[in-house]
Order: sequence, then C-alpha cells, then structure tokens
Amino acid sequence: MTNRDPILKIENISKKYGSKEILRSISLEIKKGETKVLIGPSGAGKSTLLQCINFLVMPDTGKVYLDGRCINSRKKKELYTYRQQVGMIFQDFNLFDHLTALENVSIGLIRVKKIKRSEANERAMQELKRVGLEEHANKYPAQLSGGQKQRVSIARALAMDPKVMLLDEPTSALDPELVGEVLNVIRNLVESGMTMLMATHQINFAAAVADEIIFMENGTIIEHGPPQEILFKPKNSRTKSFCSKINEIYGDMLT
Amino acid sequence: MVEGSIVTIGVVFGAMFLGLILGVPIAIGQVYGKPFLRKIIAVYVWFFRGIPLLVLLFLFYFGFLPLLGLNLPAFTVASIVLGLISSAYQSQIFRGAILSLPEGQLKAARALGMSDFSAICNIILPQALRLSIPGWSNEYSIILKDSAVTYALGVPEIMARTHFVATRTYEHLILYATAGLLYLILTFAGTKALRILEEKVRIPGYATR
Repeated sequence: MTNRDPILKIENISKKYGSKEILRSISLEIKKGETKVLIGPSGAGKSTLLQCINFLVMPDTGKVYLDGRCINSRKKKELYTYRQQVGMIFQDFNLFDHLTALENVSIGLIRVKKIKRSEANERAMQELKRVGLEEHANKYPAQLSGGQKQRVSIARALAMDPKVMLLDEPTSALDPELVGEVLNVIRNLVESGMTMLMATHQINFAAAVADEIIFMENGTIIEHGPPQEILFKPKNSRTKSFCSKINEIYGDMLT
Repeated sequence: MVEGSIVTIGVVFGAMFLGLILGVPIAIGQVYGKPFLRKIIAVYVWFFRGIPLLVLLFLFYFGFLPLLGLNLPAFTVASIVLGLISSAYQSQIFRGAILSLPEGQLKAARALGMSDFSAICNIILPQALRLSIPGWSNEYSIILKDSAVTYALGVPEIMARTHFVATRTYEHLILYATAGLLYLILTFAGTKALRILEEKVRIPGYATR
C-alpha cells in the first residue's frame, strides 16, 4: 500500500515446546494501514506466532520491532509500554468476567493509562458505540452473546489506541449467525486504516480485506502474496490443497 | 458463657482475618512465584497443616514466644496460631480459585499492558476471592470449632467457661448441651452471613447453585 517503513517487523522468531518446534524462524513485516491475514491448518503455529509478537508467549529467539525500535522484552516497563500499543483479540474473547462491558473497555485506560475514571468511561462509551454496543454497556460478559463479547473485546483493544492489532481467529468460537457482526466491525477497522495482522479461516473475508495473505504450515511461512495470487494461483502444492479443503468446508466461492 | 461466646468470636475473627491477609499473598506466591519461593511456601503450608493445633498452641505459647522474650496474652497467641494455621488452609482455597480461572484472563490483562501485579489485583483476585467464599465458609466453621481447643491455654472462650461452671455445678449435660448449641448458632450465623455475601457479590449472568 505505502512505501513507508514497516510499523511492525518481526525477525526470525522461533519457538519450541520441549522438542516440538512450533515456529521456525518466522519473519514478516507490516506497514501502516496494511492488513495481513495468516491462514493455515490448525497447529500451523498461527496462534503461537501472534502471541509471540506481543510476548504473551516468550519466543526462544527472534526480534520484534515496533516503529523501527527493537523491543527488549526483558525490560518490564518497555514490555508493558509496547503491549499497550499492540491490541490483541483472542479467539475466545477473554473478557474480564467480573466487569461490565463498559468496565472491560475502561479498565485499561484507568489502570494502565492512568486516565481519570470519568474520562475513561466516556472514551469507553465511544468505543462501545463504534462497535454498536452502547446499549449493552452495563451488561456483564455472561449476559452477552459471543458476537457481542468479541465486539466488546475489540472495543477494549481500540480504547488503548493501538498502533497495530493482532487478531487470533476472532470468529472461530462464534455460532455461524454471529460471525457477520464481528466481521463487519473488523471490516470497518480495515477501512479506517487500522494496521492489522489476523489469523482466520474466513477465506472469503480474507480475500476481501487483506493486502497480503500469508500461508503457514508446520511453523513456517510456505507462501505469501496478494490474495488473488495465494488463493487462486498458489505456487505451492500445500497452499493449493489447503485452500481447496477450506473451500469445501466453508463453501466459499473461490474457484 | 455468653461472654465466652464473645471471646470465641474474637479468636475466630482474629484468626480468619490473619489467615486472609497471609493466605492471599501465599496463594499468589505459590501460583505465580519463582520455584524457590514456591518451595518455601510449600514448607510453610506443610508445617502448619501437618502439626496438630494443640501441639502448635503449646509450642508457641510455652516454647517459641518465651524464647523470643515475648509474653503475649493467651487470647493473642490463640488468635495468631489459629490464624497461621488458617493461612495455610486458606492459601489452598485461594490457590484453587486462582487456578480455576481461565488462563486467558491473565493473558488479556497482560495484552492491555498491565503489569502482573496490577493484573493480579484488578483481574485475578476480584474473581478468585468471589469463588473462594464457599471454601471460606467451610474454613470458618472449622476454625470456630478448633477455637475450643484454645481452652487448653486458658483462653476464656465458650469451652473454658462451660468447663469452669460445670466443675462447680455438676450440671454437665445441660451446660455442654448449651455450649454445643452456642457453636451451632455461631456456625449458622457465620455461614449464613457468608452465603449472603456470596449472593451480594455474585457476578450477574452466572447461575447460583
């Protein structure tokens, strides 16, 4: 999209659990406003990669750069400041169960950014409006549907004004009829120029919004490129077989 | 004997409170601490859960405290010893509650840029303490009854008063029955109060059992 320097860059990230290699020297970069989508079979390492990027899982080796600055994850202050700038959306939402939707969104502002409660609540309300949930502000997570929960979690991440957002299969835990509302919110984010790295199985959606699709398998990036290229004329046979399988399962109209 | 009840309540509340303020950090240390800290805590818990109450009472009252040159009243020693024992048990209640929370709660807090300390205070504990109330009510009823043993130090609680009167009047049946009844009432009042608390802090949307 642009020729500027990447906002997020990762270099040679590797991760092993015991002797099992989950990530093998993964590198990628994202420029401001870009949306990149990770696809690949379960166990490919997509989730681990996303969690390594904001050090929720500590990578064994590799470097992460935000705005050209290498992040030293051993320095707590630096790590916490970095994480504030990287929004994370989880597959199973991970809303704080003891807080209302509004409090879920404002707690980061209050406790991390140290913003006054009244201002934080105002900002949180704005973000809830943005995801269409202002009427549900005072409900607790257990009183919300899956789709609503995921939208609250998006609002929670947005309230921190992240420079990049990482989305880990944001619709995989949802009932089919709730997927659309979450994808709509994400599409709005794409249009508003948010920089995102998203793992998903929603190939159609990926094709529509991604600047680049990255196909991962067995902890490595097999192939990456524009959606048209990866989905319609993949060079690699494994990419091809994965896309056709996904096609069957989700009934997408790719071919 | 009613005065005895007040002393009993004093000992139990002191012990529960001490157990709470020690038990929470112990549980946190045991779940999130470094291996060395976890080992120390494991020894602590093993010590206070492994030695009979009566032995610990005598050990502290006649042993450790005089050795340190401290001459504390029996009431205080009883509260402290019961509190230390309770902290070991309570820490396990809290530990269980913390471990029962989904891992994602801490992850989500960290992802927002919260320090681990802030995440534990703002996200983990408010949920874990709620889940601890049923276990806590169990602990209360156990301490309440254990407090009768402090009679051996001469703490003027229900049991000591009852015994004192009984040796004078020989009305054993009626007196000990009354003592039993007092304990029953105190157990009921305490567990009922905790049940109300549980209901009060219940997170909406979760079913009560």
